[in-house]
Amino acid sequence: MRRVTEWLMPPVPLGRVAALRTCVYLFVIADITIFTGWVRNRTAVPPELYEPLRIGRILPLPAPTAAVVTTVFWVLLVSALVAATGRAPRLLGWTVAALYLEWLVIVFSYGKVDHDRFALLVALLTLPTVGRARHGDSTRSVRGGWSLRVTQLAVVATYFLAAWAKLRYGGIEWLTGATLTRAVVRRGAEWTELLTDVPGLLIAAQFGIVAFELASPLVFVLRKRARYVAISGFYLFHLVTFAAISISFLPHQVAMLSFLPIERVRPVRWLRRRVAGGRARSGQRDAAPEPDSAPSPLGS
Amino acid sequence: MDSMTRPGRLARLVVTVLAAGLLVAGTVAGSDDDFPFGPFKMYAYADSPDDPVSEALVLAATDTGRRIILTENDTGVRRAEVEGQVGRFTADPTELRIIAHAYRRRHPDVRLATVSVIIRRHELSDGRPTGSFRDEVVAQWQVPR
Repeated sequence: MRRVTEWLMPPVPLGRVAALRTCVYLFVIADITIFTGWVRNRTAVPPELYEPLRIGRILPLPAPTAAVVTTVFWVLLVSALVAATGRAPRLLGWTVAALYLEWLVIVFSYGKVDHDRFALLVALLTLPTVGRARHGDSTRSVRGGWSLRVTQLAVVATYFLAAWAKLRYGGIEWLTGATLTRAVVRRGAEWTELLTDVPGLLIAAQFGIVAFELASPLVFVLRKRARYVAISGFYLFHLVTFAAISISFLPHQVAMLSFLPIERVRPVRWLRRRVAGGRARSGQRDAAPEPDSAPSPLGS
Repeated sequence: MDSMTRPGRLARLVVTVLAAGLLVAGTVAGSDDDFPFGPFKMYAYADSPDDPVSEALVLAATDTGRRIILTENDTGVRRAEVEGQVGRFTADPTELRIIAHAYRRRHPDVRLATVSVIIRRHELSDGRPTGSFRDEVVAQWQVPR
């Protein structure tokens, strides 16, 4: 039991939690403005097509009138923007998680449910439990460790259970069927005609996909270096998928950052140093403290 | 390093196991309705290598007789959503007025005469498209004058 909880809650640097927070909350903004921004027009058009999912029927969620969607949109936008800076991680974190879930219930209640947001939802629902985390902080945290671990588990579950779903809905014939051909015909890029021209190529790809999905849990037994290689492979898979049939799985890819030492990427600090360096060269003294590790005024 | 109380550890363990259980249950026996615990069934259906690939399209005829395919940009309704609700349009074609109205809002200068849902079937041979297709009208609605 002890070993299970230790594995489930490993100590991780708080800087990694801060970095994942920034990425996840910025993605939420991109999602509601770009990828699922159509929902805002939707309410003005055919509200009759809205058929709430079970969660929308259980929870007392309001019907998505224009007023509701506009309110959710703006509160979510502002909360996510501030949350991305690490301020008020609990209050804003829970607010974003709840409103984004509501946003998705609306988005998915028009007849189509996407399956690329499970791991992102897990990240959003667990990151608030970590409390304050500053960029660059190397202090270890087991609360942070749990949030990252369950996000990783959700990423791998998405792959592994997708293979299971193929067996359930398609059966073993899925492997030799025309599912990829169908995808390419319906939404393939110009160059993908090359794919259907080669006999057996898409069938081989189907075997490859299922093998990859079933093997994905092995990422947890790999050592550091091999694990990073495996994760790069996961990203490559999505890159190829996107190039072929323009399915990005972007929210899933953002959640997958939980596997990587992203605390080492510090664009804000890098940028400020460049600016400060430029100033120093032009004869000005810059006495600014370490910028993005400044204490957050609101705290938690 | 931060510390975690025993109840804190236990609560996290229970939440993890519970969520995992719901997800596995959803995968084994659930449906899209069980979001976020539904099965990850995107592209999970097997398609026969010799059956045609079909897609649902919304086709309209203008009062000048021009035939146009109404895309997501035209109506705000995505193709996958049309496909998800085809049964609803075939059961009651007057429901197509929703799409006609949505189109009208974006193109107030174009007058539509009919709006239909068609199933376009692209022919396959041995898992590869031949390039030809057939259209079947499954629901049609006359736009009132």
